[in-house]
Amino acid sequence: MTAALLWFGYAAAVAWFAPPVLVRLTRSGVDARLGLLAWLVAVATAVCAAILAVQALASSAAAGWSALAEVICQSVAGHACAPAVYQSALVDTGLSAAAVATGLALVLVAARCAGGVRRGRNGSRAHAAAARLVGRRLSSGAVGTRRAGEVRAAGEVGAVVLDSPRPAAYCVVGRPATIVLTSGTIALLGPGQLRAVIAHERAHLAGRHNTLILLTRALSQSVPGVPLFRGAAERVAVLAEMCADDRAARVSGRPALVTALLAMATGAAVPEEALGTAASAVAARVDRLLTVQRRITMVRYQMGLAAVIAVLVAVPGWLALVAG
Amino acid sequence: MRGFGDLESVVMDRVWDRAGAPVTVRDLLDEISRDRPIAYTTVMTTMDNLYKKGWLSRVRDGKAYRYTATASRAEYSAGLMREALDTGGDTEAVLSHFVAQMDGAESHALREVLRRRTDRRPG
Repeated sequence: MTAALLWFGYAAAVAWFAPPVLVRLTRSGVDARLGLLAWLVAVATAVCAAILAVQALASSAAAGWSALAEVICQSVAGHACAPAVYQSALVDTGLSAAAVATGLALVLVAARCAGGVRRGRNGSRAHAAAARLVGRRLSSGAVGTRRAGEVRAAGEVGAVVLDSPRPAAYCVVGRPATIVLTSGTIALLGPGQLRAVIAHERAHLAGRHNTLILLTRALSQSVPGVPLFRGAAERVAVLAEMCADDRAARVSGRPALVTALLAMATGAAVPEEALGTAASAVAARVDRLLTVQRRITMVRYQMGLAAVIAVLVAVPGWLALVAG
Repeated sequence: MRGFGDLESVVMDRVWDRAGAPVTVRDLLDEISRDRPIAYTTVMTTMDNLYKKGWLSRVRDGKAYRYTATASRAEYSAGLMREALDTGGDTEAVLSHFVAQMDGAESHALREVLRRRTDRRPG
């Protein structure tokens, strides 16, 4: 019983109190990878704690069943029933009811979550398969022939071009995973910018970002109203973009990536020497790429995130020792 | 050698290239075998799969089928773009976009900032 309360308490504390801290530490995207990890650890420990709580409740209820049966037997046999015995019967019945209710809720949530993941995965696979049939293979001329290795790599992931004047570039998991560009994108971007876009999408696929987004989104939809899950679904997507930006910047250089971002967001061609900032989601990414983080800031954020992760892991570890 | 899925893509490419004119397995076999050795049954199976998946329609003509695409490449492209770009649609595919499309005001504000930044630069 105590164990169940401790685990429920921990899960609830993480679900309601971790999000404001994590949002503060990950908003600016300093060390996006560590930030992403912190969110995922928070979600994982909250989910595990909730499952352990239900399990603890069920086992303490099961332990009470024999006592309950004994009480009923005694009552039927006509023995005198002290108030203490009534009380015990009441507690045991309540405990069993709670165990059954939370157990059912857990099964329901798991089923909804699995359904969401399955629908997302099937939808993605169907989209990827259709894009590969409808799209044309990205010709190596579009990304420049100077660096053949990268072009070959893009071909391996399977970049296809769809006929559409609207600029769009995205990746979708499937068999195999596919990067989709529109002909509008090819027309809008220069070879260096196009390489940056492909590097960005390849980073998504390599980091399994779509799977992380799918899982957190399904969880948030299955258990609405929990700040942690809602926050994770939102922030994991943003941090995944920043992780992919970091990798793309390393591969193709910052100017190419930043100007590609601006061109794609505004739909107008941007020469590589034009750089700017503004107050919007895209501008925040742009700003971040332009800002050289002071080492001390970096270390401060990293220590903050590391401390959060340490607490998220240490507390349940300690609980496991205490609760048994 | 390319996988089976790629053969579907090769077949659809060639069907779409005919702009609505019906095609038989034999027609496509003749075309594809100019590029690579391929068995009649392989092409037949691929086209049958594409028919079952709804990409091709067919009418019997004597002993063989005549296949046509159920929609043009442009129509399919438009459908995929709708799925990819229109938020709140019924698709549940998880797509990682390079960048979200901006609305008019956002885009205008960003362009303004860009213009100011470039104007300020000497030269």
